Order: sequence, then structure tokens, then C-alpha cells
Amino acid sequence: MGMLITVAWRNIWRSKTRTLVVVGATVVGIWALIFLLGFFQGQIGNYIHNVIQNETSHIQIHNPEFRKDFETKAFIPEAESKRMSLASDPLVSAVAPRVILSGMLASSNGAQGVRVRGIDSEMEQQVTGFHDKLTQGAMMDPSRKNQMIISERMASILKVKLRSKVVLTFQTADGHISNAAFRIAGLYRSNKKMNDELFVYAQIQDLRSLAEMPPHAAHELALVLHDFDGVEEAALRMKVDYPEEQVETYRELSPDLDVMKTQIKISMTLMTVIFMLALIFGIINTMLMSVLERTRELGMLMAVGMNKLKVFIMVCLETLMLSLIGSPIGMLLGFLTIKYLHYRGISLARWSTALEEFGMSDLVRPILPFQNYLWIALAVIITGFLASIYPSWKAIKLRPVDALRKI
Amino acid sequence: MHLEKFDMKNSVIEIRDLKKSYTETKVHVHALQGVDLIIEKGEFTAIVGPSGSGKTTLLNIIGGLDRPTHGNVKLNGQDIGLLSDNQLIDFRRDHIGFVFQSYNLIPVLTAKENVEFVMLLQKQTQADRDARTLELMTAVGLADRMHNRPNELSGGQQQRVAVARALAPKPAFILADEPTANLDSKSTADLLDLMATLNQEEGITFVFSTHDQRVIDRARRVITLEDGKIRSDEYRA
Repeated sequence: MGMLITVAWRNIWRSKTRTLVVVGATVVGIWALIFLLGFFQGQIGNYIHNVIQNETSHIQIHNPEFRKDFETKAFIPEAESKRMSLASDPLVSAVAPRVILSGMLASSNGAQGVRVRGIDSEMEQQVTGFHDKLTQGAMMDPSRKNQMIISERMASILKVKLRSKVVLTFQTADGHISNAAFRIAGLYRSNKKMNDELFVYAQIQDLRSLAEMPPHAAHELALVLHDFDGVEEAALRMKVDYPEEQVETYRELSPDLDVMKTQIKISMTLMTVIFMLALIFGIINTMLMSVLERTRELGMLMAVGMNKLKVFIMVCLETLMLSLIGSPIGMLLGFLTIKYLHYRGISLARWSTALEEFGMSDLVRPILPFQNYLWIALAVIITGFLASIYPSWKAIKLRPVDALRKI
Repeated sequence: MHLEKFDMKNSVIEIRDLKKSYTETKVHVHALQGVDLIIEKGEFTAIVGPSGSGKTTLLNIIGGLDRPTHGNVKLNGQDIGLLSDNQLIDFRRDHIGFVFQSYNLIPVLTAKENVEFVMLLQKQTQADRDARTLELMTAVGLADRMHNRPNELSGGQQQRVAVARALAPKPAFILADEPTANLDSKSTADLLDLMATLNQEEGITFVFSTHDQRVIDRARRVITLEDGKIRSDEYRA
């Protein structure tokens, strides 16, 4: 076997240019594949992060009736005590209570259906980092009543600006229609157009009192955990701890995430398969050339007593080596590229408007989990094996008497 | 491997009523039409004949590279018709030494590694291989070129390495196909001297196919083929 490995290794370097072209193509191919996989992974990661941060958090707890019609009366009565108990859970990083009212927001110039989120600014900041989205004005001052933060887009729809007055019409907990005037304290901008046209923010205590809800009630408890991977497990436990409420993870709250993740996974698998197919044909082509050029030599080897199994193994080894030389280099380059671009980020600012429609930010940080590198390595090895079969079979089909033409 | 012992102790090649036909580009060719031939141990024999005489076909069969359509071929006492393809490969490895017209050394191996190659296939130990390789490379006068690759050697030197390689497994006979066809006069003379010395001093059997008059002149037996039959079989002093 040692001799076969030596001969195979030296054989692939007989035509340095040809081997280097194949190795170069493998390096570039694997590098590009890793970059693309990392880019897509970064983009989906970015999207999930945005959804979690802006919409779902890791886990949300509601009254089981609330998400059916978003009715004001479907609140969690003792939300405050539950919030405090959840906040002391070692798995939980932060909890924010919300009162959510559906209603109509009107100015003297227009009206828009909205969902008002009554928030506690301090707690909300820990869960969603809402402060960072403010573009004008300031967060609402707890010492002042009836303030509201709306999106820049909403401001332009209603043709209002900072400190303008708007009127919210909504349903109270006992089913009456009521309205209240709010002053705009700040404008925000998120990276999802659809949300900007729907959500406005007020203070939780204002909405509670306007909707005639009990003093410790809320419609929603939004939780962020310390460990993203522990979400499912924590949610299961909370479902047991709070059987009267509806506990849902971000995946249950936003099922489109799973669809998107599956789509990305399919795209990534397809890209890998296409790359491996190109690699297979490239390598088969090169090895066939190499085998056909060496017809006479292979004939001689068989004439002097090298059996077919050894010839087969030798050509297989050559093919495998040819496939595998470039792989670690391509993977290292890909790894370094991903690391660097993850640190630096890829700006897609030119397409930010389109990306906002889908809730994606315009800075992508490519990332590729370690297991993907292992899969790529495995795929290259399998590809090398598959690519080796045909040239090796061709080699052993040679009859020494024909290969040598005459002895 | 089952070896059927041959009754003539000294014969390394025994051919009876050998016929070989094949189809080439839709034409049926009767390449050999009843050849009987015995070559004994220690012979220095040239097989000659014009193109199309069946010389190549005969040599392929003597080399165990091809099988007869009819007749019986015994090489070193073994009826090769009784061997499977894999057994035939092992038989060639252990009993037949080949020297080719265009040397056919393995270009990626050094001279020493080329000589060692068949011994490696035979799974000989490193010590045995080293000793045998040194002995053979010394015998062919290239002990100082052991670590050169074929492209660093002249044609004559490469053919000497090929002779050393052919001798490595201690074969029953050496089959040399036009061994001097690519060599200049000096290299041809040197190679023939080497082979003659090995034949006379070591008793090694050589069978050549050749067109080269210089080789024919040195042969002690010249078999001439024509139209698939032996036309003459001449022994010289």
C-alpha cells in the first residue's frame, strides 16, 4: 500500500500545470461555496434576529384568547406577579409586559388602523432595544401622561410631526369604544416597513387606565433568554408552570421563520450538490486524460504482474488525492473570509429599501457553523470517491496486450 | 496456484499446435496457424519475421499476455490455459521478465525503485529487495545511478535498468521485444554484451523479437516466422 501511495502521489504531479489547475479550481470552488453558504446563513440569522428583537422575542406569554382576535378583554390578570417570577428564573435574561390595543389613530389630516403597544420603557429596552430605533424626539417620560411614539412612515401617512397631537380610538376591556388624545414624543424607524405602518407605542400605565384594565394586568409578557438554544426547553417548562396561559416560542409565533429556514437549507444543499457535480466532472475529465495518456504504462504495470485490484486502487488514490489537495486550502480561505466578513459586515445599503420590505437589515454578517465545514469535507471525500470509480474502471478494462500494442 | 509439472525438465517454453485467430476491423486474421516450439533453459534465441508474420502474436502468447485459440502453451512447466486471469498475472510476475522496446520504466520512480517494483508486488522484505537491487544495478553497471529517475538517464541506461527490473523476480526467462530498436550502436553493443554475459555466466534464458541484424548476429538460435508458421529454426555455434 505504501508503494501505491508513493506512486499515486508522484503520478499526480507528473503534469504540474494540470494538477494545479484542478487544485486551483477546487480551492476557488470550495472558497466560493463556503462564502455563499456563510452569506445565506448570515442573512437568515440576521432575519431571525430581527424578528426576535422587533416582534416575537424568544418567548411570549398571552391569555389563550388574546391572539385569536386581539381583544382588549383577553388579558393576563396577574401579569405583574408572573413577570416578577419569570424575571427571577436563571434562564431568563429580561421580561417586558405589554398592553396591546387595536384601534384607529387619527390626525387632522388622516387616519390609520394601528396596534398600540403599551410598554414600560426601561423593561422594553432590555427586551427589544427599542431606544436604539428612535430617530427623532425622546423616549416617553413616565412623569408625563399620554405620550406616543410612532414610526416616521406613520408620521408621513398621518401628516404629523414631533409634538403633534393624535387621537386614538379603541375598545376598552368591558367592550366600550373610547378615545384619547396623545402627543407625539418621538419617531422611530425599524427595518420592516409593514411593522412601521402598524405599530405605535405608548406607556403601559396610560393604556391600562384608558382601557379600564386591572392595575397589574397585561396582554403580553415578552421574554428574552440568556441562551438562544435553550428556548424550546424553557418554553416547555413554562407551559407546565403556567397552564392557564398560552406560552409560545418565536417559531410558533412566526411560522414563516421555519419556512424560510427550510428554503435556505434547500438552497444551500442545492448549491453544494451543484458544486460537487462540477467537481466530479472536472476531476473525472482530468483523471481520464491522465489514464488515457498512460495506457502503455498501465499496460506495462499489468504485464509485469500488478493485478487489477492494485491498478484500481492506484488510480482511485490518485483521484482522491487530486480531489483532496485543494480542499483544506479552500476551506481555510473560506473560513478566514467568513471570519473577516463577519467582523466587518457586508453592506447591502444599495438594496436597503427592498430588504426593508422583508424585515432584513442591510448589513449581513456571514457566519458558518463548524459542522457545515465537516459536511463540506465529507462531501468532497464522497465526491472524490465517486469521481475515482470511472477512471479506475477504465484503467482496469485495459488489456495489457492492447495497451502495449506489442509486448 | 496449481502447477502442472512439465516432463521436459530443461524446457522453459513448450508450444504445441498453437493457433491464434482474431478479428481486426471486421477482418478475420489467422495470425498463427499451427506453431510447435520448444525453448530450453539457457537459450539465447531471436524470433524474427516480417510484419504480419505472427511474430507479435506469438510473443504475446509466450509472455502470457494473450491466450491461444487452439493448442497448448506451457511456460516454465505450467499450462497457462489452466490459469485464471488473476493467476496469470501472478504467474507473469513470478516467472517472466519483460524488456520493452521503449523501456517502459515508471517515470515517477527512481532506477532503484523501478527495479524494486516487482519485488514489492511479490511482498519481498526490504532487506531482500535492497540486496537484490544493489546486485542487479551493479550487474548492469549502474550502481551509481540508483537514485536517478528515468528522464535523467540515457536511452541505453534506461534499457539497462529495464533489464535489471526484468531480472529482479528471478524469472524463468526474459522476453525482450525489439530491445535495441531505440538505441544507438554503442548502447546496442553494450546492451547485447550485458545480455550475453548474463546468459553465459548466469544461465539466464533470453528470447528476443527483433529486426535488428546486430541482435540476430549475436543470437545462438534464430526462429523465422512467416504467415503464421515457423519457416526456419536455425541453431548456431
